[in-house]
Amino acid sequence: MSTATSDPPAEAKPQTSEKPENTPANIAAPPNGDSQTKGENGAPAPAAAPKLTNAQLKAKAKADKQARRAQAKVSKDPAPGGAPAPVSAGQSGHPATESKGNKAKGKPDGAPPAGSGATGRATGARGSVSIIPPKPESSIPECFSHLSMAKRLPITQADKDVHPTVLTLGQQMATFAIDESITRLKATLLAFKKVIDSYTTPPGNTLARHLTPHVLNPQIEYLSACRPMCFSMGNAIRWLKLQVSKIDPDVPDVDAKKQLCASIDAFIQERINFADVVITQKAADCIQNDDVILVYGRNTLVQRTLLHAHLVDGKKFDVIIIDDPYERQGQVLAKTLTAEGVKVSYSGDFGALQYQVKLADRIILGAEGMFSNGALYGRCGTSDLALAAKDFGKQVYALCETINITERVSTDSLTYNEIDPERCSGSSFRLLYDTTPSHCLSTVVTEISSAQPTSVSYLLRKLEDSN
Amino acid sequence: MATQKGGYTPSLEKFLDSLKSRPVQASVELLISLLKRRQIKGSEACATATAHILLQVVARDKWTNVDQLLGRIQLVGRKLVTAQPHELATGNIVRRVLGLIRDEASEERNDATTDSPRPASPSPSPSASASVPAPSHASSPPKPARPPTLASIGSFARTQSMFNLLSDPNLFPPTGSNASTPGQVSGASTPILNPQATNVSALRSEVIDGIQEIMDEIKMVDEQVQTYADIFIHPGDYILVYQPSRTVQKFLTRAALKRKFTVFLAIDPSSATSSEALYASLLKSMASNGSSVITVLNAGLMAYMSRVDKVILGARAITAQGGVIVDSGGAAIARAARERRRTVIVLGGVYKLSPESKLLSESRVEWGDPSKYVSFADGSLVSHVRVKNAVSEFLPADQVDTYITNLGAHAQENLHTIIADHYKEEDINFDLYGKAQRISGGEIE
Repeated sequence: MSTATSDPPAEAKPQTSEKPENTPANIAAPPNGDSQTKGENGAPAPAAAPKLTNAQLKAKAKADKQARRAQAKVSKDPAPGGAPAPVSAGQSGHPATESKGNKAKGKPDGAPPAGSGATGRATGARGSVSIIPPKPESSIPECFSHLSMAKRLPITQADKDVHPTVLTLGQQMATFAIDESITRLKATLLAFKKVIDSYTTPPGNTLARHLTPHVLNPQIEYLSACRPMCFSMGNAIRWLKLQVSKIDPDVPDVDAKKQLCASIDAFIQERINFADVVITQKAADCIQNDDVILVYGRNTLVQRTLLHAHLVDGKKFDVIIIDDPYERQGQVLAKTLTAEGVKVSYSGDFGALQYQVKLADRIILGAEGMFSNGALYGRCGTSDLALAAKDFGKQVYALCETINITERVSTDSLTYNEIDPERCSGSSFRLLYDTTPSHCLSTVVTEISSAQPTSVSYLLRKLEDSN
Repeated sequence: MATQKGGYTPSLEKFLDSLKSRPVQASVELLISLLKRRQIKGSEACATATAHILLQVVARDKWTNVDQLLGRIQLVGRKLVTAQPHELATGNIVRRVLGLIRDEASEERNDATTDSPRPASPSPSPSASASVPAPSHASSPPKPARPPTLASIGSFARTQSMFNLLSDPNLFPPTGSNASTPGQVSGASTPILNPQATNVSALRSEVIDGIQEIMDEIKMVDEQVQTYADIFIHPGDYILVYQPSRTVQKFLTRAALKRKFTVFLAIDPSSATSSEALYASLLKSMASNGSSVITVLNAGLMAYMSRVDKVILGARAITAQGGVIVDSGGAAIARAARERRRTVIVLGGVYKLSPESKLLSESRVEWGDPSKYVSFADGSLVSHVRVKNAVSEFLPADQVDTYITNLGAHAQENLHTIIADHYKEEDINFDLYGKAQRISGGEIE
């Protein structure tokens, strides 16, 4: 039963974020909530709803609790990966809620019904309390209120189960010190390695059943409260939970932990490090002598590609950097490239974009993620660049590790996005990402293949098969 | 020559204030240097300054006949245009004034030629008699300064009056009282026949009146454009504006009186901190009427396009083909809007509508101060990187849906007619540039 809980790991968050909503509803309108849950799983207390007009609240709450748990499981199982992990996690936003919700959920798992009614009620109360606080977020315009935002939450507010490494990481993510999708993923996995390392299974439990709900979930919730998770993190955490659940209960703790850490290392090596090397080489092969390459802002993968083509392949080419005037990361790239002797021209904003694009031979873009419909999730402004490039018939390459590919679909930039917390005061507003439609891209370079953007869904299926 | 008092930064106001106290030639030179240094910039400022300086030329320069005046205006105009070829409004005003002078002169000439046989009888041309209040030049006998290139004076004059009779005098709204006709376009292309016949002082005052009307027109643009605001902005709209000019701001303000809508205000990134002050009046009046303004701190605005209903851009200049010169970055927004099939509306006075057809292409970019995003103190960037910063750029006609001027909303196909109404053919073709235009500049190598 608890293996089932840990199987689709990324869905732990949607489920917990639903929880605070469910609970108050159940308490406020007992017959409704009860009959619903009953209908869905046909679980305990069959005649509870009609009878329950008088003061047997405690018993009812207990039944509720069980029903809810069962329901959560039911709703979770059939849809592996259906729910948007980072976004919904960020939406519910409130760290307190989430960690509390999780604890409440975790507790009955370990020691089922003893006083669970009270726990359930407490959760409900807290859930409803923390639903009110989003008021300070009213500075977010209503039409963007569905989007999530990173927030610096004081370490003291974090769940006590959060590992110190993860605490630090969360702060780094919230302050955008660690920003790029792939860097965040790597840091998260390394931090989780430490978490697993310092873990000992309490007596009477097995690692496979105890680790995910009691140790990993609080970390994940804390991280996604600090900043909405990126797609790659969702993918990797799902993978990690799967690995945990696969561990044989008979294997001793030490071996199990070693095994987990080894597979995390292998994962990092295979999906991040080697992937980067392969993508860099592939993309550098696309660059030809005397090319003019147009890039946007600074992306590690793009930077590595340019350096690789210049230093390793010895190609001669010019680079045009278009920058986001609010980030100005392109200046870092400009300095790095000029230090290596690449001729660079730099534009601070989108002025004369068409002129610049005309000068370029190809455009290389870094992706924060790819949707299964071939759309690219990238730094805000990427799509403007890709659009202009398409209009002038230039080649647009998107560099993306397969771990960044999500099975979700996005047709516009407001479906999945993040609000810049630094620039969301008063009436000002800034989106961090945008979605580039697949028809603006010519090639998606991943470690597996360089292919049409529309073949991303096929790629995804291939990856799932291999796992 | 540029005498700036006490270290004050020169500006349009100071320039206009100093006009009277300075010799005309000195003012011209000063304006040229101000334009070159971009201390007067923006189409409205340039147009106003040009109109004022031409007014001075007409009023205070010594000229004895129309040819002289035309030559003088052309000379000054060419200098001004060459000083800042990116400001098309300068050339537009010069052309308007040239056209104005030709109109006035040909009316006078008509009077003169028709008057000479029978000085006492009223002019047969209705438009000439209507618009020229004092055709009192019977005293100066008509004697051609140059040999006429067309057949004979008499027959030519008759053609003129026939044209005048048949044509609609109301075709020229902006020049207002001095109703002129397209028929005179062909007539005026020939050298002025009887320069001595024209009464210089009468012509002078007519032309001055005409230039003042042009100035008034420039001033009135914002108010006239904003009358179309509530036609184009609907309740609940999401409007994206980019670095709104005063025209655009007033347009929004007027719309906010009647409609509740949301404005996405994309600002100049370098002024992000001072944007509150820059657009204070807009923010205030929008808020007081219940509409909301969201300042968007993004350079790439494609992300917002799924939400935006209309994009409103202020034009620096509009070409006859429908291309628009906009603040740099505007073209990327219009492209994104077209990708999402959003309406793009361009606002600008008729004086920004330029007959200039050459040198306008998609590569027409005005480059400017590269220190906008890169500090000169940043040695490694300044010494090794080519830093470019565009000031304005060209927006192709196919990315614009509607043009709103002080005369109303126009489709792209209409612009030709408006140009034909406002400029004389020989002035359109007249090459104000003088020499080939320099495109690039303002880069750190």
